[in-house]
Amino acid sequence: MEISRKTMEAATAVVTGGVGALICYGSTENGIGWGAGGPEPGYFPFGIGCLILLGSLATLVQTFWKYAGARHPGPGAVAEEPFIDGTRLRLLVAFALPIMAMTAISVWLGLYIGMGLYIFYTMRVSAGFRTLSSLATALLVIAINFVVFEKLFMVPLLKGPILEYFGIY
Amino acid sequence: MHITSLRKGVIAAAALTAGLAVSGAALAEWKPDRPVELVVSAGPGGGSDIFTRVVQAALTKNKLVDTPLIVVNKPGGSGSEAFNYAKDNAGSPYKVYFGTQDAYVLPLGTKVNYAMKDLTPVASMVFDVFILWSNPKASGINTAQEFIAKAKENPGKVRVAGAKAKDADETVVTLVERATGTDLAYIPYKSGSEAAIQVAGGHIEANTNNPSESLEQWKAGNQKPLCVFTAERLADKTVVTENMSWADIPTCVEAGIDVKDFVQPRTVWMAADVPAEAVAYYTELMQKAMQTPEFKDYTARNVQITKFMTGDELKTFLAEQTKNYEKIYADNNWLLPASQ
Amino acid sequence: MGNFGQLMDGFAVALTLHHVMIMVIGVLLGLIVGVLPGLGAPNGVSLLLPLTFTMDPISAIILLTSMYWGALFGGSTTSILFNIPGEPSSVATTFDGHPMAKQGEAVRALTLAFGSAGFGAMVGVIVITLLSSWVANFALRFGSPEYFAVYFMAFASFIGMAGGSPFKTLVCIMLGLAVGTVGMDTISGEGRLTFGITQLTNGISFLIVVIGLFGIGELLLTIDEGYKFDGVKAKLSLPVILRTLAELPRYWVTLLRSALVGCWMGITPGGPTAASFMSYALGRRFSKRGKYFGKGEPEGIVAPETADHSAGSCALLPMLALGVPGSATAAVMMGGLMIWGLSPGPMLFTSRPDFVWGLIASMYMGNVIAVVLVLATVPIFAWILRAPFTVVGPLIAIVCLIGAYTVSNHMFDVWVALAFGVAGYVFKKLDYPLAPFVLAVVLGDKAEDAFRQSMLSSGGSLAVFFENPLVASMMGIGILLLSLPLLSALFNGLFRRGAGAGQTSSS
Repeated sequence: MEISRKTMEAATAVVTGGVGALICYGSTENGIGWGAGGPEPGYFPFGIGCLILLGSLATLVQTFWKYAGARHPGPGAVAEEPFIDGTRLRLLVAFALPIMAMTAISVWLGLYIGMGLYIFYTMRVSAGFRTLSSLATALLVIAINFVVFEKLFMVPLLKGPILEYFGIY
Repeated sequence: MHITSLRKGVIAAAALTAGLAVSGAALAEWKPDRPVELVVSAGPGGGSDIFTRVVQAALTKNKLVDTPLIVVNKPGGSGSEAFNYAKDNAGSPYKVYFGTQDAYVLPLGTKVNYAMKDLTPVASMVFDVFILWSNPKASGINTAQEFIAKAKENPGKVRVAGAKAKDADETVVTLVERATGTDLAYIPYKSGSEAAIQVAGGHIEANTNNPSESLEQWKAGNQKPLCVFTAERLADKTVVTENMSWADIPTCVEAGIDVKDFVQPRTVWMAADVPAEAVAYYTELMQKAMQTPEFKDYTARNVQITKFMTGDELKTFLAEQTKNYEKIYADNNWLLPASQ
Repeated sequence: MGNFGQLMDGFAVALTLHHVMIMVIGVLLGLIVGVLPGLGAPNGVSLLLPLTFTMDPISAIILLTSMYWGALFGGSTTSILFNIPGEPSSVATTFDGHPMAKQGEAVRALTLAFGSAGFGAMVGVIVITLLSSWVANFALRFGSPEYFAVYFMAFASFIGMAGGSPFKTLVCIMLGLAVGTVGMDTISGEGRLTFGITQLTNGISFLIVVIGLFGIGELLLTIDEGYKFDGVKAKLSLPVILRTLAELPRYWVTLLRSALVGCWMGITPGGPTAASFMSYALGRRFSKRGKYFGKGEPEGIVAPETADHSAGSCALLPMLALGVPGSATAAVMMGGLMIWGLSPGPMLFTSRPDFVWGLIASMYMGNVIAVVLVLATVPIFAWILRAPFTVVGPLIAIVCLIGAYTVSNHMFDVWVALAFGVAGYVFKKLDYPLAPFVLAVVLGDKAEDAFRQSMLSSGGSLAVFFENPLVASMMGIGILLLSLPLLSALFNGLFRRGAGAGQTSSS
């Protein structure tokens, strides 16, 4: 699967435009006028939202304008260029998904277990280490983080129910 | 906003200590076995932060605790972040929360995620007093009377700076407005010290502040205290400038502003559903902290009123305070639509 | 000169074996804290504070400030090597530092950064030494309109510089401003743009944004580019370090300009982060090699680093003299001061000259020690870079996520950081400029507060921004900086048309 730059440009502009609209909507709760004592709380956010919407629309128009020439070869025409090709996209997803998974697991089981599982997975699958050395790396990472954060700098990270159960704090 | 006189307070505190010593012995089994978080409902450098760190210093330096104490700042959402954190950590006896009146005032005017049932009151340790300051050089205001006169001549033009919106400073300014029939322009800053500097620099006419935040500017002649929002004059006779001590500052009632007693409690809380032994342990710990030289230095430097409240006395006090604030908030039209 | 004599007394206080030891320990701890984006200087100083309760105030402040210097230096290290700014103020260092490191010149980039940072810090301390009595009075002249003018100047210097599509720049600036708006509004005490989500009432921390946009975004980009991570080539040798240090004086114009910008922003309420951005923007505009900025240009490292450190040093002065901290770290230190029984303010200089001048003297020493120590860590980092990306990548990811969590102990923040990571990756590939976005997050809400405070105090009149020479000249410079790109575009357009080349502008 390949995503073209044009698609991505358009999609991004639509998303930023959506955010702009959302900001406009959100700011109406605070009053968007200019009162006696200067601007009301929502005055600037509303303007910001409008400008985002405006900028996004302009980018959208610009995108279609720019790539419209691609089908009619001529001076100044821009060829269709890819945003990302299939191989890279797969690599990217293979990298990003475990991070998401780790975050989701961390919410539930705590950061230490999350990071341990994540490191074990990446070392075993992505880096191709042997199971034993992957396990050792994961435990080492947990240990280093535990010592640095909990003991040295006393910054408590999320423990989760399993660590709590074993009385580790 | 009514507190009993200082002398009564001291007696009450002494009686309380005796009472605690008994109950303390009975409940002495509980002790934290891991680091304790002291959660502050304000950012670093502000009054609540320093208060918490003084408690931390007093307890650590005098070896009153065996486990480490960690100060955690949670200033988000005007401090509601700290109390939301208490809600998320219900039952945890390893987290103690430090705040002011914010714990019970925040839910009145803002959408917050916690309710008062998510907090267990532990103690109220000291009261910070409020002083009305001016910049004598830039604004020509030297007394509270001159301040009121100027405010009456220029409605909406005399500016008063303070920390944050709808917090203690703005509340006291609205009380002054109502008591004197004036219209002041309140300008909120991020912190009390920022507000004080605006007055010291001559950009704003006046501000309300805790004494310590403006002490140095007073010594330098850039600010002058007009009156203090307490029932009686301050007890501290330390001479600050050539001819004035804290005790020489008139109360606001004396000076013609009928706002009797507006003080800010420094309160200590725990989450809901914590073991009673833990509450007893921290209550006793706070009591001990107050006896340390570090804490006494701190209260002296900040010209605070020392009054330890806990148990039923604290509950009555909190109920009364909440009622007072509800009234003020209703008068100012600050109440949340839902709770009106 | 009275100040000089007092400084000598200060050196007598600071230069004991005990205090030099404290400086070394402080700097080392600071380096660790600065390298880890989750810890950061404010955190580190706050953690060390309990240790200082039993020390005398001079030793205590030396420990804390040394840690601060260490953290400032450490923050630049990760900016350059991994594109993760360890400290907010080292964001601008990533713009050229990381590209240079990617080209295999990591050691040169680090040395340039540390060398110019040391220079900046020295200029800052010298300014403090010479002008301490004057600065306090000058800072008092800043009311809300002046605050706004300072932010406006920083903004204006930056806006014109972003190349590419003006619409994308607009979107980025506005998105940045919007991020800064989320949460509790100082002026009204209302929550804004929270959409009923509790976590959003706490606001979106700048650190979260930066960890996402730069740290995670860069990881995704690296994968996209096919694991190109040329740290392996980082030849580590003493000659490289020495040669780079010898190269520094060549950039004397940039060094001086950046140091001046830094001192100015440190004394006024701009702060180190804004200083580094502004200095980078000015460097890009006024340097002969400005058009190469962003591609690993040495001056693009020198400019933000010098300004960052001179601002960091100068920012201590308003803290001591006015009790208004210029940064989060200074705020924690100020809390410390009060706990040790000192009150910051105009009288501190006369009541405790030994403390103030001991501190200033220690700043000279502390920065020298920091430069030496941080240069000694370069080999360690060069070694880490040799590991393959499949190993380093996940480790960086963990550092980013923990960093996002520790900002305020919420898993919600980690998700936000991940979202910003995706945004950073897409934006960077589509040539949306990230720098204005970040600057808008840093300055946006401060500028808005200052603007609305000015409006409240003037009764809604905009004339307040031109009512005295100080604010008027700052606003004037700001407007000039803002219109400079427009003017030069206009000038170029006229010039080209005048030349009659007959070419329609293609860009």
